[in-house]
Amino acid sequence: MTKEELISYIQENFSGKVELIENDMPEPYFLIEPKAIVAFSRFIHDDNKLIMHFLMNLSGVDTKENMEVVYNVCSYRLKHRLFFKTVLPHEKAEVDTVKEIWAVADWHEREAWELFGINFNGHPNLTRFLLPDDWDQGHPLRKDWVGRDVIPFPEGK
Amino acid sequence: MGVNDKLPVHAEQSPGGGIITTELNKIFTLTQAKSLWYLLFGTACCAIELMATGASRYDFDRLGMIFRASPRQSDLMIVAGTITYKMAPVVKRLYDQMAEPRYVLAMGGCAIGGGPFHYDSYSVLQGVDKIIPVDVFVPGCPPRPEALLQGCLEVGKKLRTQKIDDWRVR
Repeated sequence: MTKEELISYIQENFSGKVELIENDMPEPYFLIEPKAIVAFSRFIHDDNKLIMHFLMNLSGVDTKENMEVVYNVCSYRLKHRLFFKTVLPHEKAEVDTVKEIWAVADWHEREAWELFGINFNGHPNLTRFLLPDDWDQGHPLRKDWVGRDVIPFPEGK
Repeated sequence: MGVNDKLPVHAEQSPGGGIITTELNKIFTLTQAKSLWYLLFGTACCAIELMATGASRYDFDRLGMIFRASPRQSDLMIVAGTITYKMAPVVKRLYDQMAEPRYVLAMGGCAIGGGPFHYDSYSVLQGVDKIIPVDVFVPGCPPRPEALLQGCLEVGKKLRTQKIDDWRVR
Protein backbone atom coordinates (compact mmCIF):
# COMPACT_ATOMS: atom_id res chain seq x y z
CA MET A 1 0.00 0.00 0.00
CA THR A 2 1.06 3.56 -0.58
CA LYS A 3 1.27 6.08 2.22
CA GLU A 4 -2.16 7.58 1.44
CA GLU A 5 -3.81 4.17 1.25
CA LEU A 6 -2.27 3.14 4.56
CA ILE A 7 -3.44 6.35 6.25
CA SER A 8 -7.01 6.06 5.03
CA TYR A 9 -7.21 2.33 5.78
CA ILE A 10 -5.95 2.72 9.35
CA GLN A 11 -8.11 5.76 10.03
CA GLU A 12 -11.17 3.84 8.80
CA ASN A 13 -10.54 0.88 11.05
CA PHE A 14 -9.23 2.74 14.06
CA SER A 15 -11.17 6.00 13.86
CA GLY A 16 -10.96 8.22 16.89
CA LYS A 17 -8.14 6.29 18.55
CA VAL A 18 -5.33 7.28 16.21
CA GLU A 19 -4.05 10.72 15.36
CA LEU A 20 -2.04 11.32 12.22
CA ILE A 21 1.23 13.23 12.59
CA GLU A 22 1.94 15.14 9.41
CA ASN A 23 5.44 14.54 8.09
CA ASP A 24 7.54 14.49 4.93
CA MET A 25 8.64 10.90 5.37
CA PRO A 26 7.53 8.19 2.94
CA GLU A 27 5.82 6.38 5.84
CA PRO A 28 2.69 7.36 7.77
CA TYR A 29 3.29 8.36 11.39
CA PHE A 30 0.56 7.95 14.00
CA LEU A 31 0.11 9.02 17.58
CA ILE A 32 -1.67 6.36 19.64
CA GLU A 33 -3.13 6.41 23.14
CA PRO A 34 -0.99 4.37 25.57
CA LYS A 35 -4.00 2.18 26.42
CA ALA A 36 -4.64 1.35 22.76
CA ILE A 37 -1.10 0.29 21.91
CA VAL A 38 -1.65 -3.45 22.30
CA ALA A 39 -4.98 -3.43 20.43
CA PHE A 40 -3.49 -1.36 17.62
CA SER A 41 -0.40 -3.58 17.39
CA ARG A 42 -2.53 -6.69 17.33
CA PHE A 43 -4.68 -5.17 14.57
CA ILE A 44 -1.81 -4.19 12.24
CA HIS A 45 -0.09 -7.51 12.89
CA ASP A 46 -3.09 -9.71 12.14
CA ASP A 47 -4.94 -7.70 9.50
CA ASN A 48 -4.79 -9.27 6.05
CA LYS A 49 -4.21 -5.97 4.29
CA LEU A 50 -1.40 -4.83 6.59
CA ILE A 51 0.48 -7.95 7.83
CA MET A 52 3.02 -5.98 9.85
CA HIS A 53 4.99 -9.03 10.89
CA PHE A 54 8.26 -7.29 11.61
CA LEU A 55 8.99 -4.79 14.37
CA MET A 56 12.03 -2.99 13.00
CA ASN A 57 12.70 -0.87 16.03
CA LEU A 58 11.25 0.14 19.36
CA SER A 59 12.90 2.98 21.19
CA GLY A 60 12.35 5.35 24.04
CA VAL A 61 12.58 9.10 23.64
CA ASP A 62 12.87 11.79 26.30
CA THR A 63 11.52 15.13 25.08
CA LYS A 64 11.89 16.81 28.51
CA GLU A 65 8.10 17.37 28.72
CA ASN A 66 7.16 13.74 28.09
CA MET A 67 8.51 10.30 27.53
CA GLU A 68 7.73 8.67 24.22
CA VAL A 69 7.93 5.16 22.85
CA VAL A 70 8.35 4.96 19.08
CA TYR A 71 7.54 1.81 17.14
CA ASN A 72 8.72 1.18 13.58
CA VAL A 73 7.08 -1.76 11.87
CA CYS A 74 7.12 -3.09 8.35
CA SER A 75 5.66 -5.84 6.22
CA TYR A 76 8.04 -7.93 4.18
CA ARG A 77 5.20 -9.50 2.27
CA LEU A 78 3.40 -6.32 1.23
CA LYS A 79 6.49 -4.06 1.24
CA HIS A 80 5.15 -1.17 3.28
CA ARG A 81 6.15 0.47 6.49
CA LEU A 82 4.43 2.27 9.34
CA PHE A 83 5.65 4.30 12.28
CA PHE A 84 3.68 5.05 15.40
CA LYS A 85 4.39 6.41 18.83
CA THR A 86 2.79 6.90 22.19
CA VAL A 87 3.34 9.71 24.67
CA LEU A 88 3.72 8.97 28.38
CA PRO A 89 4.01 11.25 31.41
CA HIS A 90 7.52 11.73 32.74
CA GLU A 91 6.85 10.62 36.31
CA LYS A 92 4.81 7.53 35.52
CA ALA A 93 6.04 6.23 32.18
CA GLU A 94 4.12 2.98 31.73
CA VAL A 95 2.83 1.19 28.68
CA ASP A 96 1.73 -2.38 28.01
CA THR A 97 4.22 -4.74 26.45
CA VAL A 98 3.94 -5.83 22.81
CA LYS A 99 6.18 -8.81 23.39
CA GLU A 100 3.34 -11.24 22.76
CA ILE A 101 2.81 -9.75 19.30
CA TRP A 102 6.42 -9.27 18.17
CA ALA A 103 8.88 -11.43 20.10
CA VAL A 104 11.74 -9.09 19.18
CA ALA A 105 10.17 -6.43 21.39
CA ASP A 106 11.54 -8.35 24.37
CA TRP A 107 15.05 -6.93 24.17
CA HIS A 108 13.96 -3.58 22.77
CA GLU A 109 11.70 -3.05 25.74
CA ARG A 110 14.41 -4.12 28.14
CA GLU A 111 16.70 -1.54 26.54
CA ALA A 112 14.08 1.22 26.78
CA TRP A 113 13.47 0.32 30.41
CA GLU A 114 17.16 0.23 31.24
CA LEU A 115 18.16 3.50 29.60
CA PHE A 116 14.94 5.53 29.94
CA GLY A 117 13.10 3.95 32.84
CA ILE A 118 9.95 3.26 30.83
CA ASN A 119 7.97 0.47 32.44
CA PHE A 120 6.47 -2.14 30.17
CA ASN A 121 3.57 -3.78 32.00
CA GLY A 122 3.39 -7.49 31.50
CA HIS A 123 6.99 -7.90 30.37
CA PRO A 124 8.22 -11.09 31.99
CA ASN A 125 11.91 -10.26 32.29
CA LEU A 126 12.56 -6.55 32.63
CA THR A 127 16.18 -6.85 33.74
CA ARG A 128 19.47 -5.15 33.06
CA PHE A 129 21.57 -6.26 30.10
CA LEU A 130 23.41 -3.30 28.55
CA LEU A 131 24.81 -1.43 31.53
CA PRO A 132 27.25 -3.03 33.98
CA ASP A 133 25.70 -5.60 36.29
CA ASP A 134 26.41 -3.54 39.39
CA TRP A 135 24.97 -0.32 37.94
CA ASP A 136 23.21 1.74 40.60
CA GLN A 137 22.82 5.17 39.01
CA GLY A 138 19.38 4.95 37.47
CA HIS A 139 18.47 5.44 33.84
CA PRO A 140 21.26 7.37 32.09
CA LEU A 141 19.51 8.55 28.91
CA ARG A 142 16.89 10.55 30.78
CA LYS A 143 17.37 14.27 30.34
CA ASP A 144 17.31 14.94 34.08
CA TRP A 145 19.86 12.24 34.86
CA VAL A 146 23.01 13.28 36.70
CA GLY A 147 25.89 10.83 36.73
CA ARG A 148 28.53 10.31 39.36
CA ASP A 149 31.62 10.02 37.15
CA VAL A 150 30.43 12.11 34.22
CA ILE A 151 32.71 14.95 33.14
CA PRO A 152 30.40 17.75 31.95
CA PHE A 153 31.12 19.40 28.64
CA PRO A 154 32.81 22.76 29.31
CA GLU A 155 30.57 25.80 28.86
CA GLY A 156 31.12 28.05 25.87
CA LYS A 157 32.86 25.49 23.66
CA MET B 1 77.22 -10.51 12.23
CA GLY B 2 73.98 -8.71 12.95
CA VAL B 3 73.75 -9.87 16.52
CA ASN B 4 77.23 -8.64 17.28
CA ASP B 5 76.42 -5.17 16.00
CA LYS B 6 73.37 -4.87 18.20
CA LEU B 7 74.90 -6.21 21.39
CA PRO B 8 77.20 -3.83 23.22
CA VAL B 9 79.24 -6.72 24.48
CA HIS B 10 82.67 -8.13 24.40
CA ALA B 11 82.74 -10.51 21.46
CA GLU B 12 85.64 -12.69 20.63
CA GLN B 13 86.33 -15.17 17.97
CA SER B 14 86.97 -18.52 19.50
CA PRO B 15 89.24 -20.95 17.69
CA GLY B 16 86.30 -23.03 16.55
CA GLY B 17 84.29 -19.90 15.81
CA GLY B 18 80.70 -18.95 16.66
CA ILE B 19 81.11 -18.14 20.35
CA ILE B 20 80.47 -14.77 21.95
CA THR B 21 80.48 -13.71 25.58
CA THR B 22 77.69 -11.45 26.78
CA GLU B 23 75.38 -10.72 29.67
CA LEU B 24 72.46 -13.04 30.06
CA ASN B 25 70.26 -10.01 30.62
CA LYS B 26 71.20 -8.49 27.27
CA ILE B 27 70.54 -11.60 25.27
CA PHE B 28 67.27 -12.26 27.08
CA THR B 29 65.81 -8.82 26.59
CA LEU B 30 67.02 -8.60 23.01
CA THR B 31 65.41 -11.85 22.05
CA GLN B 32 62.27 -10.89 23.85
CA ALA B 33 62.06 -7.53 22.13
CA LYS B 34 62.32 -9.36 18.83
CA SER B 35 59.45 -11.71 19.57
CA LEU B 36 56.86 -9.49 21.19
CA TRP B 37 53.66 -11.47 20.89
CA TYR B 38 50.57 -9.39 21.36
CA LEU B 39 47.13 -10.27 22.62
CA LEU B 40 44.46 -10.51 19.96
CA PHE B 41 42.14 -8.01 21.59
CA GLY B 42 40.26 -5.07 20.10
CA THR B 43 37.15 -3.32 21.29
CA ALA B 44 36.41 -0.68 18.65
CA CYS B 45 37.57 0.88 15.39
CA CYS B 46 41.26 0.96 16.47
CA ALA B 47 41.11 -2.82 16.15
CA ILE B 48 40.60 -2.39 12.40
CA GLU B 49 43.81 -0.39 12.23
CA LEU B 50 45.49 -3.02 14.41
CA MET B 51 44.42 -5.68 11.94
CA ALA B 52 45.69 -3.56 9.05
CA THR B 53 49.02 -3.27 10.82
CA GLY B 54 49.14 -7.02 11.23
CA ALA B 55 48.27 -7.63 7.60
CA SER B 56 50.68 -7.82 4.71
CA ARG B 57 51.20 -4.15 3.83
CA TYR B 58 52.58 -3.11 7.22
CA ASP B 59 53.38 -6.60 8.43
CA PHE B 60 53.84 -6.82 12.18
CA ASP B 61 55.46 -10.18 11.62
CA ARG B 62 58.68 -8.65 10.36
CA LEU B 63 59.23 -7.33 13.90
CA GLY B 64 58.60 -10.82 15.23
CA MET B 65 55.16 -9.78 16.43
CA ILE B 66 52.35 -12.23 15.95
CA PHE B 67 48.99 -12.22 17.65
CA ARG B 68 48.06 -14.77 20.25
CA ALA B 69 44.47 -15.52 21.09
CA SER B 70 45.34 -16.31 24.70
CA PRO B 71 46.63 -13.89 27.35
CA ARG B 72 48.79 -16.70 28.73
CA GLN B 73 50.96 -16.63 25.62
CA SER B 74 51.10 -12.85 25.19
CA ASP B 75 53.80 -10.39 26.16
CA LEU B 76 52.06 -7.24 25.02
CA MET B 77 48.48 -6.08 25.37
CA ILE B 78 47.47 -3.54 22.74
CA VAL B 79 44.35 -1.87 24.11
CA ALA B 80 42.76 -1.02 20.76
CA GLY B 81 39.52 0.83 21.24
CA THR B 82 36.97 2.27 23.62
CA ILE B 83 36.82 0.61 27.02
CA THR B 84 33.39 0.82 28.57
CA TYR B 85 32.71 0.37 32.27
CA LYS B 86 31.20 -2.98 31.43
CA MET B 87 34.34 -4.07 29.57
CA ALA B 88 36.78 -2.70 32.19
CA PRO B 89 36.70 -5.78 34.49
CA VAL B 90 37.38 -7.98 31.46
CA VAL B 91 40.42 -5.90 30.49
CA LYS B 92 41.67 -6.09 34.06
CA ARG B 93 41.22 -9.85 34.14
CA LEU B 94 43.00 -10.32 30.79
CA TYR B 95 45.89 -8.25 32.09
CA ASP B 96 46.04 -10.31 35.27
CA GLN B 97 46.09 -13.52 33.25
CA MET B 98 49.13 -12.45 31.22
CA ALA B 99 52.43 -13.87 32.39
CA GLU B 100 55.29 -11.62 33.50
CA PRO B 101 56.95 -9.74 31.93
CA ARG B 102 53.96 -8.04 30.42
CA TYR B 103 53.54 -4.72 28.70
CA VAL B 104 50.57 -2.57 27.80
CA LEU B 105 50.22 -0.23 24.84
CA ALA B 106 47.23 2.13 24.89
CA MET B 107 46.24 2.73 21.29
CA GLY B 108 44.15 5.71 20.26
CA GLY B 109 42.28 8.50 22.03
CA CYS B 110 39.67 6.29 23.70
CA ALA B 111 42.18 4.05 25.44
CA ILE B 112 44.28 7.08 26.47
CA GLY B 113 41.59 9.30 27.94
CA GLY B 114 38.12 8.54 26.64
CA GLY B 115 38.64 10.23 23.29
CA PRO B 116 35.38 11.52 21.80
CA PHE B 117 33.57 10.01 24.79
CA HIS B 118 35.47 12.06 27.34
CA TYR B 119 32.66 14.50 28.10
CA ASP B 120 29.07 13.68 29.04
CA SER B 121 29.56 9.94 28.89
CA TYR B 122 27.86 7.55 31.28
CA SER B 123 29.48 4.41 29.95
CA VAL B 124 33.09 4.97 28.86
CA LEU B 125 36.16 4.53 31.03
CA GLN B 126 38.22 7.71 30.88
CA GLY B 127 41.52 6.08 29.99
CA VAL B 128 42.68 2.51 30.41
CA ASP B 129 45.49 3.66 32.71
CA LYS B 130 42.86 3.97 35.44
CA ILE B 131 42.72 0.19 35.74
CA ILE B 132 46.02 -1.20 34.41
CA PRO B 133 49.55 0.25 34.13
CA VAL B 134 50.31 1.50 30.62
CA ASP B 135 53.84 1.54 29.18
CA VAL B 136 53.33 3.34 25.88
CA PHE B 137 50.57 5.66 24.66
CA VAL B 138 49.97 5.98 20.93
CA PRO B 139 47.68 8.94 20.19
CA GLY B 140 45.44 9.19 17.14
CA CYS B 141 41.87 8.49 16.23
CA PRO B 142 42.75 5.89 15.16
CA PRO B 143 46.58 6.03 14.89
CA ARG B 144 48.15 5.22 11.56
CA PRO B 145 49.78 1.79 11.31
CA GLU B 146 53.15 3.54 11.18
CA ALA B 147 52.41 5.15 14.54
CA LEU B 148 51.43 1.81 16.02
CA LEU B 149 54.61 0.23 14.70
CA GLN B 150 56.60 3.06 16.25
CA GLY B 151 54.78 2.50 19.54
CA CYS B 152 55.66 -1.18 19.49
CA LEU B 153 59.32 -0.32 18.82
CA GLU B 154 59.13 1.98 21.87
CA VAL B 155 57.84 -0.94 23.92
CA GLY B 156 60.85 -2.91 22.69
CA LYS B 157 63.16 -0.09 23.71
CA LYS B 158 61.65 0.07 27.18
CA LEU B 159 61.83 -3.69 27.46
CA ARG B 160 65.54 -3.67 26.74
CA THR B 161 66.23 -1.32 29.62
CA GLN B 162 64.79 -3.77 32.11
CA LYS B 163 66.60 -6.42 34.11
CA ILE B 164 65.54 -10.02 34.21
CA ASP B 165 65.92 -9.90 37.98
CA ASP B 166 63.06 -7.41 38.09
CA TRP B 167 60.65 -9.89 36.56
CA ARG B 168 60.83 -12.18 39.54
CA VAL B 169 60.40 -9.37 42.04
CA ARG B 170 57.26 -7.90 40.44
